[in-house]
Amino acid sequence: MSIGELLSVYGEKYLQGLLTTWELTIFSFIGAMIIGVIITVFRVCPIKPLRLFGEFYVQIFRNIPGAALLILLVYALPELDLILSYHSCVLTATTLIPASFCSEYLMSGINAIGIGQIEAARSIGMTFPLMMRKIVIPQAVRFSILPMTNLLIATMLTTSLASQVPLSPTDLTGVVSYINTRSVGGVTSFLISAFFYCITAVVIGQLGNLLDKKVRILR
Amino acid sequence: MSENTVIELKHIDKHYGNLHVLKDVNLSIKKGEVVVIIGPSGSGKSTLCRTINRLEGIDSGEVLIEGEKLPDSGKELAKLRSRIGMVFQSFNLFAHKTILENVTIGPVEVLHMNKTEAEKEAMELLKRVGVASQANKVPAQLSGGQQQRVAIARSLAMHPIAMLFDEPTSALDPEMINEVLNVMTELAREGMTMVIVSHEMNFARRVADRVVFMADGELIEENTPEEFFEHPKTQRAKDFLDSIKK
Repeated sequence: MSIGELLSVYGEKYLQGLLTTWELTIFSFIGAMIIGVIITVFRVCPIKPLRLFGEFYVQIFRNIPGAALLILLVYALPELDLILSYHSCVLTATTLIPASFCSEYLMSGINAIGIGQIEAARSIGMTFPLMMRKIVIPQAVRFSILPMTNLLIATMLTTSLASQVPLSPTDLTGVVSYINTRSVGGVTSFLISAFFYCITAVVIGQLGNLLDKKVRILR
Repeated sequence: MSENTVIELKHIDKHYGNLHVLKDVNLSIKKGEVVVIIGPSGSGKSTLCRTINRLEGIDSGEVLIEGEKLPDSGKELAKLRSRIGMVFQSFNLFAHKTILENVTIGPVEVLHMNKTEAEKEAMELLKRVGVASQANKVPAQLSGGQQQRVAIARSLAMHPIAMLFDEPTSALDPEMINEVLNVMTELAREGMTMVIVSHEMNFARRVADRVVFMADGELIEENTPEEFFEHPKTQRAKDFLDSIKK
C-alpha cells in the first residue's frame, strides 16, 4: 500500500496512535521525574539505608531491558496476586526505567554544583531538606535540561513497548502491527509512524534547547 | 570559662587517615575579640576554623558555642550554625540566585523572617559592603572582591554572634584584596567577634586582638600582634616569619 492509501484507510488509527504515544510519554516522563528526584535525594541523603536503596534502584532499572520489565509486570505480578491493566503495565515500565536515568542526570547536575555552595548553605543553618529544596535540586535540574531533553525523547521511543500488549487505542508502533496483521502495509506503514516519532522528537529537542538557554546558570 | 567566651575549643583532635591534622587544640574566643590564625600551609588552620561550625567533624574534644556544646548533627547543629557566620575562600555564593536573594535566603528560609523586611535589611547590608547597585545581578556577573563582600553580607544577614573567615582574600586578585579587608576592618571596629584564617600579615597586625600561630596541627603560640610579630617566642614562629619576609 502507498502512503496515501495507508493514510486514507488508517489515518484515524495513526492519529489515535500518536495521541496514545504522547499520552504515555507525558505521564511516563512526569512520573520518571518525580521518582527520579526522590531517588536522587535518597542517594545523597545522610541516611545510609536510603542511599543504598537509591543506588540499588538505579542499578536495577538502568540495566533491565524494557521488554523484560514489561514481561515481568504482565506475567510475573499476577503470581503475586497483583494484576495491573496492560496500560498500567506499560506505563510502569516506561516510568521506572527513565526514572533511573533521570536520577543519573540529576546526580551529575549535583556534582556540577560543587561542595562550596553546599557548605555555604550548611553554614547559614540550612537543614538537609531545605538545602536540597532551595539550593541543590533547582541547580541540578537547570544543569541537566539538555540530558533531560534526550531522556524525554528516549522515553517516547520506549513507549513503543506498548505495541507488545493489546491496548486500545494502541500507540504508534502498535498501529503498525495492527495494519500489518490486516493488510500488507510493509515498510511504508513503519515509515509513517517513524515520521510522527521524528517530528515529535525534533519539537522536544528544540524546546529543550530554548529552555536550557533561558534557565542556564551563569558561571 | 568566663561569661564573655563566645567560642571555646577544648582538646580538639582530628585525623585524616594517618595524618594527625589537629593535635589537642585549645582555644577560647571572647566576645568582640578578633583572632587571626596564621601559619604555614598544611598546618591545620583552615581545618581548625571549619571545626568551629562543624563543617569538619572532630575525633575527640569539645566545641562550645556560648557555653553550649555543639551537637554532632541534625536540626540542633543547623540551628547553632545559623548563629555563626562563615566566609569562604571561594565565596560560594548561590549561583542560581541574585545577589539580593543570596542575602535574603538565610533570613527568610532559616529564620522565617518576613520577605519584605529581609529585603530591606539585605539592601542596607549590601549598601554597607558597597555592592547595593549589583543587587539584581547574579554572582557570576560580579568581580571576586564584590562576590566576597556579598558573602560577608549574606553572613551578616543572619545576625551572627561570631564570624569565621577561612582565607577570605586568598582567591582574590591583588587589587581586590583591600576592598574585602576594609569591610572586615570595619566589622572588627564595630565589635564583631571574628576568627580569621589569613595570610595577610599587615592586616593581622592592624586588626587582630590576638594572633594564633599554628604549625603541624598544633597551636604553637598565641600573643598580641605586636608581641608576636616583633618578639616571637618559638623557633618555628621565627622561621615562619622569616620565610614570609623574603
